[in-house]
Amino acid sequence: MAYFQARRDFLKLATKSATATVLIPGSLGALGEVALRGEDKFVRSICEMCSSRCPMEARVINGKTVLLQGNAFAKEMGTSLCAKGVAGSSQLYDSQRLVSPLIRVGKRGENRWREASFEEALNLVSTKLSALKERYGARSVIFSSKTGEHYDLLRSFASAFGSPNVFSHWSSCPIAIESAFHHTFGEKLHRDFENATYILNFGHNLFEGLDISLTKAMAHFCANPSKKLVVLDPRFSIIAAKADEWHSIKPGSDLAFVLALLHVWIRDGKFDHTFVEQYTIGFDALVDAVKETTPQWQQTRTGIDASVVERIAAELYAATPRCIIDWGHKATTTQAEFQRSRAILIANILMGNVEKEGGIYLTKSAKRVNALAKESIVPELNDPFPRLQINEPRIDGAGEEGAYCFVSKQHGVLTAIPEAILSQKPYEIKGWFLTRHNPLITVADPQKMKEAMEQLEFIVVNDIYLSDTAMMADVILPECTYLERDEGISTLTCKVPTYAMRNKIVAPLHENKSAIEIIRALAERMGYGSHYAWKNSSELRAFQAKGNAELLQTLLLRGVASFDVPFFCARESSLVERFCERYPKSRAWVDAQGCFGHLLTHLKTPSGKIEIYCDAVEKIFKGYGVPRSVDMDVSQGLPYVLTSGKSAVHTNGHTQNVPYLSRLLSSNPIWMHPSTAKAHGLKMGDTFYLQNAIAKEKATVFITEGIRPDTLFAYMGFGRDAPSLARTHGKGTNVSKFLSLASAPICGAMITNVGVNIIKA
Amino acid sequence: MAKKYGMIHDNNLCIGCQACNVACRSENQIPESVYRLQVWVKQEEYPNGGLGYEYHRQSCVQCENTPCVSVCPTHASYKNEDGIVLIDNDLCVGCLYCVAACPYQARYVHPVTKAPDKCTFCHESRLARGEEPACVTVCPTDALIFGDLNDPKSKINKALSERVTYRQKESLGTQPKMFIVPNHKGGIRS
Ligand code: SF4
Ligand code: SF4
Ligand code: SF4
Repeated sequence: MAYFQARRDFLKLATKSATATVLIPGSLGALGEVALRGEDKFVRSICEMCSSRCPMEARVINGKTVLLQGNAFAKEMGTSLCAKGVAGSSQLYDSQRLVSPLIRVGKRGENRWREASFEEALNLVSTKLSALKERYGARSVIFSSKTGEHYDLLRSFASAFGSPNVFSHWSSCPIAIESAFHHTFGEKLHRDFENATYILNFGHNLFEGLDISLTKAMAHFCANPSKKLVVLDPRFSIIAAKADEWHSIKPGSDLAFVLALLHVWIRDGKFDHTFVEQYTIGFDALVDAVKETTPQWQQTRTGIDASVVERIAAELYAATPRCIIDWGHKATTTQAEFQRSRAILIANILMGNVEKEGGIYLTKSAKRVNALAKESIVPELNDPFPRLQINEPRIDGAGEEGAYCFVSKQHGVLTAIPEAILSQKPYEIKGWFLTRHNPLITVADPQKMKEAMEQLEFIVVNDIYLSDTAMMADVILPECTYLERDEGISTLTCKVPTYAMRNKIVAPLHENKSAIEIIRALAERMGYGSHYAWKNSSELRAFQAKGNAELLQTLLLRGVASFDVPFFCARESSLVERFCERYPKSRAWVDAQGCFGHLLTHLKTPSGKIEIYCDAVEKIFKGYGVPRSVDMDVSQGLPYVLTSGKSAVHTNGHTQNVPYLSRLLSSNPIWMHPSTAKAHGLKMGDTFYLQNAIAKEKATVFITEGIRPDTLFAYMGFGRDAPSLARTHGKGTNVSKFLSLASAPICGAMITNVGVNIIKA
Repeated sequence: MAKKYGMIHDNNLCIGCQACNVACRSENQIPESVYRLQVWVKQEEYPNGGLGYEYHRQSCVQCENTPCVSVCPTHASYKNEDGIVLIDNDLCVGCLYCVAACPYQARYVHPVTKAPDKCTFCHESRLARGEEPACVTVCPTDALIFGDLNDPKSKINKALSERVTYRQKESLGTQPKMFIVPNHKGGIRS
């Protein structure tokens, strides 16, 4: 096979790079401390401090990393990196990291351990998992991971093992918008912030939940006086402060605002009629659904004046097609989340901004670009993570007949896990394998989740820290940090095909292994070795690259690879022409308007077009085929709504104990409006209790005008019970404890806005 | 011609994310208990009743007229040929007059060397290698611009000619080489 040749070339290359020192990134384990000593060198890789995975670069001196910065080979990044990304070296050298496998000696969750060798730990895990499979069937083991290579690895391993029960972190994060995209476009689109002139933002806070290239584009957008940003958020966030207008919308009511926009545009005939006619189906159903959703109607739900909707509707229309109604990532979540996300996408569609500069665009993947060019201009990758089809029902019913029929089997519904374990329905669950996943902090009702975990026979956790979830494990497998491991090739494509690769920056400081090594070693022990076409990370890369040594070399040296493909929007004839000039065979696709219009009529939706109305959804969930008003209440009869989000220096659960970062923000006092604080007799810094039906937790108060009087806000990821996270242990409040396990209809999203009471301490 | 290094902190671009703060710490190995650089995000209420955030860069502003140097009895505090204010630890007698004299509270006592320390424009760690200061390098929003004020073609001079700037405590006559672009946003009412 070609890739074996590639692998030999690749290894040759790697060996060469070990001797040619200064500019060559070390990798493939060939470079250890010895090779690095006394040298000053740059290695380019991918950040892992949050899920944005920005391309980064490290300068290594004497085998120690000194500074992490952005990888300027990724054009949109420059040398920029966020505080978390730069603090990666402080995680690497953190004395509170896990450095050896641990095996439980006390009761589950008691936090008593003995150290073990990897050999012993892996043997134990393989024996236990095999025994569970033997006794209760493979389906009795759950596998969960955050998305990324860890998830791809684990999902593939789970399929070899035979369990259908694979979960990603999606249902606790972006699943609603992903689902809305799937039903509207059949795939996910991106936002061209650089070229937009007007953005309506529903809490997509790129200045506190950073993704460097998007954050940078948005910052320049905000600083440009000729552009306009309108932010709707119950809290005065950093992005709200950078906006031209901020409206403190009532939590959970985004949907009402968007429905009113749709109403106004349709009422006045102010939308892109030609686009709607040519590329979409189901517009008439929408007309009917938004008949009553007037600006006046929304006013009572959102607290925003009707005249504001009228004005913003007109401004957006005037800015078409260079306007974006920004959906956010995990912005508000309510039970109306599916409808909210769909309504936002449809607002974009009515503005005709799809495949227009300054609007929203389809991923220009290698496959898409090659098909258009009718030649292979960008290498396509092999999938190194085979998945066998498992014909067993899942415990959460994802992708099967019932409430979660539209939730992807690949991602599942995390909030359904506790009930399934405790009730043993639809069948018994006995084991759980988690890699880099911390549901006791990031998923609703950790109290119940913990109760369920206590019922299990065997839990194995792979993490960097002894997290709250790791504390529940039987075996903890300590992973190396991202600075100490090689990974396969990942796809970064948005505007143009781009690949990136995680390259080892220093040799592992301790016993730790990478997830690739861990999973591959388990597979070997359990008899699934033949499932994979590779044995280690270098073979994996070579297999992925299909014999393309040049691609691998670029990724080794530069950390990213792009292919000088010109960006095009399918509906911008000048950009289409530029693409055709470069790749003449692509002219065959050009339509009468000089566009690649076929891209929008051959989508992966049932009709092939953009679906304003989804028949499949309507058939099973009556009334959900088009966006319409559904129950948006998040207070559940309680006086306040507790909302949560990120700060610029932490993720939702991973970084709170990282030395540099813990000092920047070490707790999460609850944001409260002065009038609310006064009504409860609270002064800045006072302690009080938050309470609802499932939790009563201590909190401190941060008094600010920057929040609605009926709303509270907390940064995520605090209130840690794990004593091993010594810097953060016991500080702040874990807001997940207030969240209910009920999830949003259709998409299965966890609902992160919740009603609470304030009780004086 | 000698160089004259300066910096711009553009409040319109700054988001208070602290990447600069962490980069400075990491590059210059600043002990945990002290800092050369922080960005203070302060919520302001404007006269019109609106809200805003101001982003104050708390660091040495690299004065041209330097109270810290004037007050130093041993010339341990000095300005180098590129206009960067530095400290020679070997000459320092630990009187800490400079710490008291700095109107910008930029100096701290290094817990290990016991000598005063502060922002050096990464003179020792990066400039020598031809790299920009760590804070400038990582800033996610390009809010920091660094360069030679004596070079008419430098990035910083170009930006100074296009953006309105001010300097902190200008009335003191210290002539900082740290220029601030004031925030145009804010005063937002919901
Ligand atoms: S946003 Fe920051 S933490 Fe996240 S991947 Fe990018 S640099 Fe890393
Ligand atoms: S890194 Fe840039 S945006 Fe972030 S606080 Fe510093 S100056 Fe401001
Ligand atoms: S110039 Fe260097 S020393 Fe000064 S604040 Fe920036 S990173 Fe720190």
